[in-house]
Amino acid sequence: MEIIEESQSGINIYRLNGRLDSNTSQGFEKKIFQAIDDGSKSMIIDFKNLDYISSAGLRVILKATKALKREDGAIMLCDMQDYVKEVFEIAGFDSFLPIVGTMDDALNAF
Amino acid sequence: MAKNKVSFKLKSNLSQLDALCQNLEKFGQSLGLSKKCIFEANLALDELFTNIISYGFDDKNEHTIKITISLRNDELVFNIEDDGIPFNPTKVETPDLECTIEECRIGGLGIHLAKNLMDAVCYQRCKDKNILTLKKKIKEARPQKKKVKG
Repeated sequence: MEIIEESQSGINIYRLNGRLDSNTSQGFEKKIFQAIDDGSKSMIIDFKNLDYISSAGLRVILKATKALKREDGAIMLCDMQDYVKEVFEIAGFDSFLPIVGTMDDALNAF
Repeated sequence: MAKNKVSFKLKSNLSQLDALCQNLEKFGQSLGLSKKCIFEANLALDELFTNIISYGFDDKNEHTIKITISLRNDELVFNIEDDGIPFNPTKVETPDLECTIEECRIGGLGIHLAKNLMDAVCYQRCKDKNILTLKKKIKEARPQKKKVKG
């Protein structure tokens, strides 16, 4: 999986490309938690080019959301393909994770 | 005509998830299955395979997990066979999905996903092997057989 990182008005944006599974989730977790340790409080995860997510990927997103909440920060998830979104729904995560349609929606939420 | 059965072996290593995906995509595409159907089958097999590797073996040896996929009428049938300790994932409790983010626990989630993406998940312990059989009905049109009966 490729992770493209950028920053816009103090918001850390992660664009995921490929597959977020038990193999790749650790690298992503490290990146996110490094940013949280460095003081980042606002994050957007762009799922547009993510083809696949498993429970290992959900676990990282959940952990990051909890960590940011403790720091009074926030995370937004955007642009999911339908079948990726379905995984969040089956897991019941869509009830407490902020999932929005587009990157603009995500940026406007901060 | 595309073959309606495929069988392959994976080593007990998470890096084999890529091989699982490749085998599944190749088979699914040859049958003309939708991207969504291949995705869902991939996810269910991934979760059960990852579970076997994470909890199924009480030694450090390399094990082999055998996967067979076949299409019978309009149903995909998956078989996952391993020689690990007895473990029946169908008995794992479903996580509480009505919880708040603070209460949310990730344990059991992979198996919950697998059960939801399949129409049936059955477990058997047979000759020191765990055998999981998963079934998934496919809805999409597949390449039509040229010969029509009747």
